[in-house]
Amino acid sequence: MCFKNLPVEFDSAGKPFLKAGINNPYEWKGAIGAPAQLTHDKIETLLRKNGHIKSVDFDPVTRVAGALAFHSVVDFKERKVIEARSMATLFRGYEVIMVGRDPRDAIFITSRACGVCGGVHSATAAMATEMAIGCKPPPLGILIRNLSLAFEFLYDHPLHLHLLAGPDYSAAIVAGTNPSLLARAKKTQTRYADIHGYPTIGDLMEDLNPLTGKLYLEALHMTRVAREAYVLICGKYPHPQTMIPGGMSTTVTLTVMNEMATRLVQFFDYGKKVARIWDEITEFFYEADPRYKKVGTRRASMIDTGIFDHPDAYDATYANAGQTGEMRWLTPGVIVDGELVTTDMHRLNMGLEEFVEHSYYEEWAGNGSTPKFPKDEMGNPLSPWHPWNKITKPRPSGQNWKEKYTWDTAPRWDRNAMEAGAYARLWNTALAKKAPKSEFFEPTGHSLKVRLPKGKLPEVEIEWKVPTAWNAFERNRGRAYCLAYTTMVAWENWRLAMERLKIGDTKVSTPFEIPKKGEHLGCGYWGAGRGYLTHHLVLDRGAVSNYQIITPSTWNASPTDQSGQPGPYEEAVLNTPLLEETDDPKQFKGIDILRALRSFDPCMPCTTHIHSEGGVITREVNTCACGADD
Amino acid sequence: MGILVGGLGYRNLRDHSIGIAVSDALMERGWPEGICVEDVSYNPVALVEHLREEKFESAVIVAAVQRPGRVPGQVTAYRWDGQLPSDERIQAAVVDAVTGVIFLDNTLIVTRHFGCLPEITAVVEIEPEIHEFGESFSTAVTAAFETVCELVTTLAEDPQALLALPRMPLGGSSHDRS
Repeated sequence: MCFKNLPVEFDSAGKPFLKAGINNPYEWKGAIGAPAQLTHDKIETLLRKNGHIKSVDFDPVTRVAGALAFHSVVDFKERKVIEARSMATLFRGYEVIMVGRDPRDAIFITSRACGVCGGVHSATAAMATEMAIGCKPPPLGILIRNLSLAFEFLYDHPLHLHLLAGPDYSAAIVAGTNPSLLARAKKTQTRYADIHGYPTIGDLMEDLNPLTGKLYLEALHMTRVAREAYVLICGKYPHPQTMIPGGMSTTVTLTVMNEMATRLVQFFDYGKKVARIWDEITEFFYEADPRYKKVGTRRASMIDTGIFDHPDAYDATYANAGQTGEMRWLTPGVIVDGELVTTDMHRLNMGLEEFVEHSYYEEWAGNGSTPKFPKDEMGNPLSPWHPWNKITKPRPSGQNWKEKYTWDTAPRWDRNAMEAGAYARLWNTALAKKAPKSEFFEPTGHSLKVRLPKGKLPEVEIEWKVPTAWNAFERNRGRAYCLAYTTMVAWENWRLAMERLKIGDTKVSTPFEIPKKGEHLGCGYWGAGRGYLTHHLVLDRGAVSNYQIITPSTWNASPTDQSGQPGPYEEAVLNTPLLEETDDPKQFKGIDILRALRSFDPCMPCTTHIHSEGGVITREVNTCACGADD
Repeated sequence: MGILVGGLGYRNLRDHSIGIAVSDALMERGWPEGICVEDVSYNPVALVEHLREEKFESAVIVAAVQRPGRVPGQVTAYRWDGQLPSDERIQAAVVDAVTGVIFLDNTLIVTRHFGCLPEITAVVEIEPEIHEFGESFSTAVTAAFETVCELVTTLAEDPQALLALPRMPLGGSSHDRS
């Protein structure tokens, strides 16, 4: 059964329909079996009565992209977190900015949502438009777009692993939070010294040190390599100039392809090294203290639209999105409690809803009201809270844990708080076994094997196994393996692009016109380095009448919903044991909480608007806005 | 070897775009060999990479920055003393840089930390008044524009003028040129 909470059933042909006889089918009911936070009233009582229970706030959470604040209440006697609230502190507003514009503007405007991965927004905007207007890119255009995405990921993953999250596992940090762990690390031999060159875990941790560590500096260098490859086809980074509906507006020559290849092959060895480094870190912490398996743990419930379209399959239509999605090199899908429940893009889309109970927005869909789009073009039912039906109505107000406390919304799939991340792609792909066959990778049903060719290091096959414990360490490990997988998908696409060039096919785009009549729906189903990304578009007589963006951090940073179900950051922190070696709240650094948070690779909204008690004021800061909605 | 004249900021952000407006305007002028005028707002880490490949003897960086105690349009020029903040602040500057923040302070800190910023670096700061999207400057910043262009030109063309600037920490202090 695909949906357990939404009132959607399927007939014998697999056609979905709303259950009959329900007066208000989408009336709010929480997800069956979902966890719930204590109410804030109960927390206030506990705080009043117990001296060992204290509020611990991280504002801002550092070493993340953009503005994230996190409120927690910690029981220092039990060494656990009893309240967790994730706050996106800045308003983005791209949904508001886009209304009334030509859809092509979205390619350039929504890119500015992010200073790390603006290109993925450009591509997703282009795809939403090409679906709305019916414009299929030519094969080479699809392949080059895939390559651009891969290079963004090859920028993004090293950046997160060794510049943002990596320092949490460095000698400099661990010495201050868990000195006994560092002492152990210095005596612990590594397993893959032949790949990464570090004899002990302590040596490896030294090179994870911020600013001076070799792994930190090497990651900075590799981000440059990826950027160089990216600008060859996209003009500049992070805001590309060559993304268009119907393909790309770049010129692809043998010279460009060769220059791309010289960058890409550098990731063959780097992919091996990074995967093994995160194997080492993960296994070391598990062996040192098995309770680390609980740091950042939550239900393995995640969502991803899949990425890397196959040139023989992708036709930019919603009607065929189910089949074309399953032909992607990374398979779309929804995993609930570790079980793959669908790989069908239509079902994924049908289950989407966004709620604003604890968000600084006005409700737009009263219970029982008729949504503008009760069904998609295939006749599949859609919720009044589906992005195509959503209306963004910002309503700044004071922060109140019982009421509103974040600019992020609460997206849910079948009413479940879902996690987004690079690892979700691996997980879907591994379980589904639907990815195109390749000599470089193989999904097994329980793992994903990646074969990295010989570079300076010999050819190596690495295998990402579906984790038995889901936690902060596995998120980082998954991201590290995703770097290797992305490298080989890029290589596969590079080779296919070369074959197109060899037969004289240099066409990278299809001409199009924006229809000036009628209403058209489109959606870009794509991905950021951090995971899931969708742009839902409603085009009315040539102009955007609704534009809704859901980013990975919209999912991950989401607040608690009306049933008390926490968002993924919140849930992960609530489940995190405090293993830091201090009993003194004044010395408490919160490293375990921060590891849990940073493992998601948070990317928050930072546009020109900042919320204050006086309303919405502005400031000059602009950076990554992948996080909260709106 | 030569001198780098760099404008810094976001485009279309009213007064905050004056740095790149200045470099755009100066790029239109003819410059003697050895003076390189460019928009250096393409990410501090990428600027580090550029400065590793192309060495400069000195630099003049111009940007709008909000500092306490200044009035809109006020121009502050100084030679940065190169004093870096704590490692924690440097790390935060690197994180801001790699996640897309373009800002004078993090650009100077990151490029100096990685040993690429010329030892002699002049900073010209303009106090902005309007903090929002848009193309035009406020009256105060508009009035300062030509002054800034001429000041930057002088500093680029006259090494003695550059060396005569007071050495100061980031943000400068009372030695304003307005």
